[in-house]
Amino acid sequence: MIESIRVDALSKSFRISGSAQHRTLKDLIVNPLRRGASSTVHALADVSFGVEHGSMLGVIGRNGSGKTTLLRLLCGILKPDAGTIHIDGSIAAVLALGTGFHPDLTGREGARIELLTLGMTRREADARLPAIADFAEIGEFFEAPIRTYSTGMMMRLAFACAICVDPNVLLLDEVLAVGDEAFAKKCLDAVTDFRTRGKTVVLVTHSAEIVEHFCDVALWLDRGRVAGLGDPHNVVSAYHALSGASAAYSTS
Amino acid sequence: MDTRLSDRNAISVLWTFRWLVYELVLRDLRLRYRGSFAGFAWTLLNPLIFMTIYALVFSVYFRIGVPNYALYLLAGLIPWGWVSGAVLAGTTSIVDGRMYVGRTMFPTLVLPIVPVVSNALNFIFALPVLAVFALAMHAHLGLALVALPLVMLVQLLVTTGIVLLLATANVFFRDLQLLANYALTILFYLTPIFYTRVQVPTAFQALVIWNPFAALISAYQDILYANRFPSPADLAYAAAFGAVILALGVAAFTRSQDAFSQYI
Repeated sequence: MIESIRVDALSKSFRISGSAQHRTLKDLIVNPLRRGASSTVHALADVSFGVEHGSMLGVIGRNGSGKTTLLRLLCGILKPDAGTIHIDGSIAAVLALGTGFHPDLTGREGARIELLTLGMTRREADARLPAIADFAEIGEFFEAPIRTYSTGMMMRLAFACAICVDPNVLLLDEVLAVGDEAFAKKCLDAVTDFRTRGKTVVLVTHSAEIVEHFCDVALWLDRGRVAGLGDPHNVVSAYHALSGASAAYSTS
Repeated sequence: MDTRLSDRNAISVLWTFRWLVYELVLRDLRLRYRGSFAGFAWTLLNPLIFMTIYALVFSVYFRIGVPNYALYLLAGLIPWGWVSGAVLAGTTSIVDGRMYVGRTMFPTLVLPIVPVVSNALNFIFALPVLAVFALAMHAHLGLALVALPLVMLVQLLVTTGIVLLLATANVFFRDLQLLANYALTILFYLTPIFYTRVQVPTAFQALVIWNPFAALISAYQDILYANRFPSPADLAYAAAFGAVILALGVAAFTRSQDAFSQYI
């Protein structure tokens, strides 16, 4: 079977500067060659996995294990240092790092820009706006500036945009944790429907329950490496076993 | 279609996201006058009032030994406004777009392009107003006007290149956004805009000859003030400068765009 997502030997590291993130002109003149104290963080090292059409991959791992970096690489925001990514078809993402909505724009304007960001024409974008307003269920707030939104409302809008774009691959970062229960259920229903149409979902989450109940495959990342991959139940129990044991380990 | 942004070249990114550029430029133009009573009409009112002030000051109150000086001044000042407006907003454009850069699938290249295009539109909106003034001041506008699109194209190259270069560098050295302001002021005084080329002392003529902005602005002055075709040599020099600076700008942007999200 042809896979929807194929990732091979993916690696990404970041250089973290020591004291000051931004170099001033003075630093440049005083020390033209020194790049400042820096260390390298290997966010992802030699990560490989595949996801089949119509299935859902759940990514788990502690904070800083590389989950978000993986999503950013998958959607093409970051370039890998090594390794390859093949994705069959279009992508839409809801990333927890920020919804990318300008606070001064109304929900409608923000949603339109979001759709244009995915390469749509203005006409295609405008045709989808009613469906987005409908799905997000934020009522008259759709016409209000986004700065007046709660975090949950912003996520509703972001999720509604991503699902209404109807991409081939949907990347979700901790989306379900932000909304209320009713909306989380609505999202899960939409995701299920999405998958029955042969489309693929990658979900980063801290909820073992969601991974066990909804995902077909689980990927456990630990310090940028694959610590477990396969049946969600097995991976989640291994993760729980180790994270329970490592709580004491990490404080030493 | 490959949708992975990080692997695409500049032209293909801009073409794919032309509607995003259109929307953001529209927003830029609207936001400038949002909440004002006259609204979008300010795009025409602004140059009209600005030009009236200059015309009154320099043809009634303060006379300078350059024939039709107010028009000469406006013919250089209005295209300069495109450069300075685009450079000021463009330098901070990537840093100002921090909510998008590296956090969403937003194509970062669009950010510095938007102020270049919106300032180009402001310039274009000011042109008919300038034409009315030129006619009111009994200047001759004629056949040389057909060269105007070519000069604007050259200016688009130059401005886009400089803005891309500064916007990219400003992510790493924030001092640039302050220095750009001074650099623009110095460049403004080094370019024959409110004085003429012949008024520059012989010792400093080289500064005018090698200044690509002098070549560019004098092309506008030729067309809009003197009603003659701009010098092909000047225009070719400005275009060559534009091509080089644009290539540098695109290269700098492409090389460093992956690092943006770590510095913003």
